[in-house]
Amino acid sequence: MDPSTKEKRKGRIEGIHKVTGKAKYSAEYELPNMAYGVFVTSTIAAGRILKLHVEDAHGASGVIDILSHENNLPIPALVNRKMDNNQYGLPVLHTDKVYYNGQPIALVLAESLEEAIYAASLVSVDYEEEDFTINFEDHYKNVPLRETGRERGTLSDWQDAPAVIDAEYTIDMEVHNPMEPHATIADWSEDGHLTLYDKSQNVNGVKNKMAYLMDMPGEKIRVVSEFVGGGFGSGLRVWYNTVAATMASKMLMRPVKVVLTRPQMFSMVGHRPRSWQRVRIGANSDGRLLGVLHQGRNATSVFRDHTDNITGISRKVYAFENVRTEMALVPLNIPRPTWMRGPGDSTGSFGVESAIDELCYLIDADPVDVRLKNIAPYQMETGNPWSSHYLDECINRGAEMIGWKDRPRTPGQLVEGEWKIGYGLALGLWNAYRTKAGAEIEMLPNGNITVRTAMTDIGTGTGQGMWNVAHEWTGIPREKIKIELGDSKFPYAPSQGGSKGMASISGAVVAASRSLKLKLARYAWGEERQINDDLVDRIVLNGEGISWKDDKNSFVSFEELFEREGLESVSVTEMAGPGDERKKYGFVSSAAHFYKVRVHETTGRVRVDRMVIVADAGTIINKMAAANQIIGAGVGGIGMALLEEQGFDPQTGRMLGNDFAGYHVPVNADAPIIEVSFINKPDPHINPSGAKGLGELGLIGSAAAITNAIYNATGKRVRKLPVTPDKLV
Amino acid sequence: MKPFDYHIASSLESALSLRNESASYIAGGTNEVDLMKKHIHQPDALVDVNGVLSAEIRPDNNGIEIGAVVKNSILAEDREIAEKYPLISEAILAGASPQIRNMATTAGNLMQRTRCPYFYDTALPCNKRSPGSGCGAAKGDNSHAAIIGASSECVAVHPSDLCVALVALDAEVRITEKDGSEKSIPFTDFHRLPGARPQLDTNLPEGSLITSVYVPGNEFYEHYAYLKIRERSEYAFALVSVAAALVLDENNIIKNARLASGGVAHKPWRWEEAEAFLTDRKASRSNFEEAAEICVDQTEPMEHNAYKVTLLRGAIETALVHCMDFKKG
Amino acid sequence: MGPREDKINNIGRRFFLKASSAATALAFIPRSVKAFYIDVKTRILGRKKVLPTSFIVNGRNYDLEVDSRSTLLDILREQLGLTGTKKGCDHGQCGACTVHVDGRRVLSCLTLALMAKGKEVTTIEGLAEGEELHPMQQAFLENDGFQCGYCTPGQIMSAVACVNEGHTGSTEEIKTYMSGNLCRCGAYNGITKAIQKVAQ
Repeated sequence: MDPSTKEKRKGRIEGIHKVTGKAKYSAEYELPNMAYGVFVTSTIAAGRILKLHVEDAHGASGVIDILSHENNLPIPALVNRKMDNNQYGLPVLHTDKVYYNGQPIALVLAESLEEAIYAASLVSVDYEEEDFTINFEDHYKNVPLRETGRERGTLSDWQDAPAVIDAEYTIDMEVHNPMEPHATIADWSEDGHLTLYDKSQNVNGVKNKMAYLMDMPGEKIRVVSEFVGGGFGSGLRVWYNTVAATMASKMLMRPVKVVLTRPQMFSMVGHRPRSWQRVRIGANSDGRLLGVLHQGRNATSVFRDHTDNITGISRKVYAFENVRTEMALVPLNIPRPTWMRGPGDSTGSFGVESAIDELCYLIDADPVDVRLKNIAPYQMETGNPWSSHYLDECINRGAEMIGWKDRPRTPGQLVEGEWKIGYGLALGLWNAYRTKAGAEIEMLPNGNITVRTAMTDIGTGTGQGMWNVAHEWTGIPREKIKIELGDSKFPYAPSQGGSKGMASISGAVVAASRSLKLKLARYAWGEERQINDDLVDRIVLNGEGISWKDDKNSFVSFEELFEREGLESVSVTEMAGPGDERKKYGFVSSAAHFYKVRVHETTGRVRVDRMVIVADAGTIINKMAAANQIIGAGVGGIGMALLEEQGFDPQTGRMLGNDFAGYHVPVNADAPIIEVSFINKPDPHINPSGAKGLGELGLIGSAAAITNAIYNATGKRVRKLPVTPDKLV
Repeated sequence: MKPFDYHIASSLESALSLRNESASYIAGGTNEVDLMKKHIHQPDALVDVNGVLSAEIRPDNNGIEIGAVVKNSILAEDREIAEKYPLISEAILAGASPQIRNMATTAGNLMQRTRCPYFYDTALPCNKRSPGSGCGAAKGDNSHAAIIGASSECVAVHPSDLCVALVALDAEVRITEKDGSEKSIPFTDFHRLPGARPQLDTNLPEGSLITSVYVPGNEFYEHYAYLKIRERSEYAFALVSVAAALVLDENNIIKNARLASGGVAHKPWRWEEAEAFLTDRKASRSNFEEAAEICVDQTEPMEHNAYKVTLLRGAIETALVHCMDFKKG
Repeated sequence: MGPREDKINNIGRRFFLKASSAATALAFIPRSVKAFYIDVKTRILGRKKVLPTSFIVNGRNYDLEVDSRSTLLDILREQLGLTGTKKGCDHGQCGACTVHVDGRRVLSCLTLALMAKGKEVTTIEGLAEGEELHPMQQAFLENDGFQCGYCTPGQIMSAVACVNEGHTGSTEEIKTYMSGNLCRCGAYNGITKAIQKVAQ
């Protein structure tokens, strides 16, 4: 990503590539002699493959080969079935077992995409079928709950509370569906090196997992994910396309491209599992919360567990003296679920924030007052003080922005023509993580620098944030800074998930910036000044050279310095991570969602008229990109609340309508112009930049704010998402 | 897709002669290419008819003739259509997306196939796609299925919006048969109910080409509404849709009424009993409610789609109300 | 096989030995039966049909021999190196593949390359005039009308058409006429504002 040469060009550093079509996503690298792979998938939900009939497919034009468990494929870890400790789950193309309908069972390789697709349609399969289970609602009650975490206080303390809400909430299966389908190009070199152009949120994770699966040293693997067309969690794991392309390329000794179809995006790269939760909340009649019992169950696959931490939210947001949480997993013959934006908390917050809303109507209290009164004053689980936490400011500002005073206290009071109007509030909160991350800065004699990290940018603005931080901490003008991302040959970085990207990488860029200054200063004045780390703030860089603060005569141009020292470039690499502050403080980002909706009761239509989201995410490094993150999450909230559900055929266990026509993600017209405001105060301890993560935040609480507003408009409490028209008429 | 030949027809005659049992016509391609990619349609040859059919909209003294390959977007924004047949514009604009409307043709819209998820997945049983394989939706998930006119063999619904307006306006479909003879089919008879042969969507004789759609002149340009209930604001097929149009006298007595629905049956459905009820009655909320009740009384919902009946009632009432106040919801 | 053949490692070689015998189960079938089988299969499955087509993309004329099954989208991405046009669903459900054909926005995934014969196609790569961005590209940059960037070329092509069509009378009208382009990142604020800016 080069900064624009045209000085007036605004926007993100990588934006020019995206608006001109030059950004290369993983399926778009041109390699000579590419072969195309297309998956054949199972058409039963449970059982065993007896025979794959591949003769017709082999006879179709252009077919190179067809890979399945029948041809002894070379993935050592899958051959050895070291499944328990590799966390991989499905031994793709290495088993005759069928765990779900839509499971990849063969890969057809052909000279062109058209030929591979057609040939894949010609493979037929003999199965031995077994009984299967896909119905969550029929089965979840049979799975016993188990306590999670430590019980705080006791249940009995608040059983007789003056006000108690006890309600159950369910959310249907949701699917990440980034616009870019998952894709891999695998390319083996003759000397046994593997290059993967892979859609991933975690290049190091892919490198390590593939090294494990292939039983080879990680140094021989390079993973490139320079541009990632969205993820929302689907890119955190290594999925079947990566493994299959790797295997196929090794066998053909040709580059192999495997791109998932949209229907396969529903069955091969995870989803947010179906969930049930029960929230029992007790309070005094003045709205002081006393205790919560939060129970949750989520669906998982029969071959691998996935726990969505649905109940964790109950331990974080409010000052409950008494908390008990219980969870259970419900194994079904479905694809493996995984983390999806705001995993656990966005599900759990629908329950808790709905229940608190119900409580407010029960005791006739203002939801704003009840929330302000009960915000956890410190981190409840540890007793640590918050490092920074401005949720009360978020609430107050949001109430002002939406005009909360216009909200009718009794539901169904505001009517405009055929529409009923309502206001809803819900809170969101996400632990603000930081992990170890690395960055490299390289400077050339002309003063241009390149900042590199293995971290990806899935659209969150990581590159732009690094650009801003590097500029701020080196002093080098932005137009002289280049950012390179998403390549495992760059310094280590963690996955871009859990909203820890900016909080982690910004620390590394700060450390590398300081290190660059010190290194240049030592070259410049090594003889005359004792350059130690404490002096870093006295070193001043600009586009042309280096100088000592308040000493103009000390200026040395980079050209001169590099020439004098015989340098072609100067490089520094730094790792930076959290320290003891994580033990002393609680770190959270938080948000208040204030929404206004209109409901057409005869046709079941819901329009979200206004969405005001006020967030505390520490220092905002990139205002526009940060707001865009929150806006996007708000749109995701509309999807979660009103649109998104993936169903199954009860007879075959096969997904129904699993594409963009059947599964409705929000379109432009579904969303209003979303209003975002940031508290924008630095967190004093999290990292040098003061930035806390915000990727998940905007989604957590969003769905509940919509259903709370629907209740305010109509008096109808919807406890089952999504709220499709049939649920309101 | 299965490999196929591609012929660009040079005349109507060549189109008709190139079209054999294993060939399909193609115009806009928005549905046909999709079906071929899904291996639902597997023709050995395509006959491109774009060059040989009319792309013109021609008013005459008694109505308006819409050429078979007039694009949906052109039709929706045509001045004559927007002024005198606005129900057509409204219905088109309620469907698909601007890009698809720029590609899709009038005749192709009539020929589009159901969006039933069982039809669309070759791994699932479907009598329409694969006669004799059974109806997956009847025993499985029938939440999007028909609430009227279904058979034990098929419960799919017709997906078009335009066709709902056309059936309401008593359009006719002009065709040329394989032997070159010309014929006109009343719109109400063009699509068929599934019965025992759900593989057939229409009564169009095998190999025939639709050459145009004719809409007789009418007075339904003042009080009309197309209301579509779907699972998101745009770019989704109807759960239920209603085309309503009224002609009123100066005392708000209904002189002529048209009422039709999409998303409810294997064909665009005309509510003739309700129309008869409304005729010569006052345009009032209570009469609209009663008309809606007449319609829903005829429905026979299945296990998962009773909600559609409720939506239909609301949609008919609301559409009729919208006919009165011009405020489109 | 190319020159790489000699360097196949053991696993690969074993596979090839197996594959060359099992690659076609036909190897084990008597010759006469096999001939019959191939004949039947060719008749049933058909062979790839390669046919000529020609069209203009971004002002440049292309005379191509294409698999009759190839869509305009796949030709652009896999044959012409024009990967700016994106594949999001391949079935007309997302708008990521939007291009202009004869000046109108259409979906290249539902356009067979053969149907584009004689047409003039404009893709995202053809929108800028050299270094000078199209005003819509500039507006998307300034209004952050994207996040991951994958739907962006389709959004921009659709947005340019939306302005040309005159569907920019209100925020609601823009949103309605841009609803054929999904953005899973949800950058709808910026997309809408960019169009408003250009429409002014």
